[in-house]
Amino acid sequence: MLIWFLPLFLLFLMIGLPVFFGLLAAPGILLWMDGQTREITLLYRNLYNGMDSFPLMAIPFFMLAGEMMNRGGITLRLVEFSQAMVGHFRAGLAQVNIFTSMLFAGLSGSAVADTSALGSMLIPAMEKEGYSRKFAAAVTAASSVIGPIIPPSGIMIIYAYVMGESVAALFLAGILPGVLVGTGLMLVTNLIARQGLESPPLRRKATWGEAGQASLKAFFPLLTPVIILGGILGGIFTPTEASAVAVAYALVVSLFILRSMTWKDLPDVLLRAALASSVVLLLVGAAVSFKVVVSLSHAPEQLAAFILSLTENPLLLLLLINLLLFIVGMFLDAGPAIIILGPILGPIFVELGVHPVHFAIIMSVNLTVGLATPPMGLVLFVASSVSGEKVETIARAILPFLAVEVFVIFLITYIPGISLWIPTVTGFISP
Amino acid sequence: MQFILGASHVLAMFNTRINVVGQRVAIAAMALMVLAILVQVCFRYVIGNPLSWTEEAARFLMLWMAAVVAPTAFRRGGFVAIDMLREALPKAMASVLWLLLLLLALVVLSVAVDIGWSEVTGFSGSFKTASLMTLFTVEFADGFPWIAIDWGWQKMPRNQMMASLLVGAVMMVLMCVELILREIIIIAGKGDALPDIPQTDIVGAE
Repeated sequence: MLIWFLPLFLLFLMIGLPVFFGLLAAPGILLWMDGQTREITLLYRNLYNGMDSFPLMAIPFFMLAGEMMNRGGITLRLVEFSQAMVGHFRAGLAQVNIFTSMLFAGLSGSAVADTSALGSMLIPAMEKEGYSRKFAAAVTAASSVIGPIIPPSGIMIIYAYVMGESVAALFLAGILPGVLVGTGLMLVTNLIARQGLESPPLRRKATWGEAGQASLKAFFPLLTPVIILGGILGGIFTPTEASAVAVAYALVVSLFILRSMTWKDLPDVLLRAALASSVVLLLVGAAVSFKVVVSLSHAPEQLAAFILSLTENPLLLLLLINLLLFIVGMFLDAGPAIIILGPILGPIFVELGVHPVHFAIIMSVNLTVGLATPPMGLVLFVASSVSGEKVETIARAILPFLAVEVFVIFLITYIPGISLWIPTVTGFISP
Repeated sequence: MQFILGASHVLAMFNTRINVVGQRVAIAAMALMVLAILVQVCFRYVIGNPLSWTEEAARFLMLWMAAVVAPTAFRRGGFVAIDMLREALPKAMASVLWLLLLLLALVVLSVAVDIGWSEVTGFSGSFKTASLMTLFTVEFADGFPWIAIDWGWQKMPRNQMMASLLVGAVMMVLMCVELILREIIIIAGKGDALPDIPQTDIVGAE
């Protein structure tokens, strides 16, 4: 009986019930029909206990730090720094867009914040330099997915919590894949420019003086990832404490050093972060109670048996799972998808000998790229609203970039070292 | 119809007000959470005297922050959902579908309120937290007036934290009823008479 909770949940999801209610209603209804009303109380308790967590607190804090960083000033400094570094490359501003996304990813874990902050600044600037608007919007959307891959990352905190992995290990494992996506995007951009599909004028190289100036101005924002990662790596803070320190640092930088925010902005910043994190926290809590029913129902075993009946070759299975994740990513945002699929798929692959951290990265990167795939790509919508270009148009222009990202997903899937090397050498996972 | 329209207006006004309260509480809780953790880090490294209550205090604040601001998110359409089907359907059918989904949400929320109440009045709620002290406790009991305030410096009982989800669920029931009334009015073709609910873009963890 209980095995039906998964199809029922999918049905609820497809007809548009908010994920939070679906996660509770599907198992709840079946437990009720089964006469197991006591277990419904258990659903409630797990929802509560799932939210009552110290590691999870890093989510509101990183969101808050991101909100503060987003208030003007800091983005501009990152862009100026990137201009000094890569602005003279072919299709310079497009490269600046991608490079800034990589830097931004170290401050905030959000692709949406990246698209809206960089898009509103760089898309008009790119248009002015002769890029087509759809290309500018596509570059912005495609590069913003680096945000949740390079630490800090809200998605990875969620994955670590729901699956009982170490946040620090996942953070470290995301660094190389994120850099790889960024480099790949920069190469494609170069290729597109070489073919003359986009032909903006070449920009001159920044002088040493200008580069120094820009670096100095970007120094304080760029210190954030150093503090976060350094603190976690050095064993000084837990990730949650690091996120609180990041908030304090962002507050000091934006209030006193860059003056990009005033005290008056603070309530609004706090409220935005509170709203966003309350939705995520409820979802994670609901996922924890959903997970209990998942294991009660023996669905993972049955699903595993089914998947293994297709093939037992882990390489082929990884390909299939990537396909599945990619399709799911087309329709669902990364957070909810991880919350729902992690507990179901994770154990199967760990059983097959895939390292849990490696699988976490495959799943996170694949679903994050899903944020930029039509028809339901979160960052496509944001890019559309900041650029005024239609979603369909951006969705077509983004295809070459998506191709690179899919290629990187393959690399990550079949070369575990890309994910596992940094956490291994730093001793956060045992080889 | 006139009655539903009136009820919807009153409820909308009430909901806007309690959400403002919820938002203010959440803003304060968020700020205090950060402060608690910074104090924790400070005491451990700078003063060398680790505190035990800061983590519990921060979790207490986080639970209340999330619970009291979630109704605002729910009312403004900030809960993640796949709305492709609703967008594809003709308007009237989409409204009927949304009404049914809201009714289902109302059932979930009502069950949550019911269980939530028995949790805060129940046995496990009376256990004390490890180190968090409080000046007063809100006591819950079946029968009028349901709650009472008990003054006194003591370790906080767990139900003071557990009550957050209950309060959040009660507020969300109110939001849900308002949204249901709205949808009925829209289906009846009187949608123009409805006041707008301000929509906010609420981003997820992405």
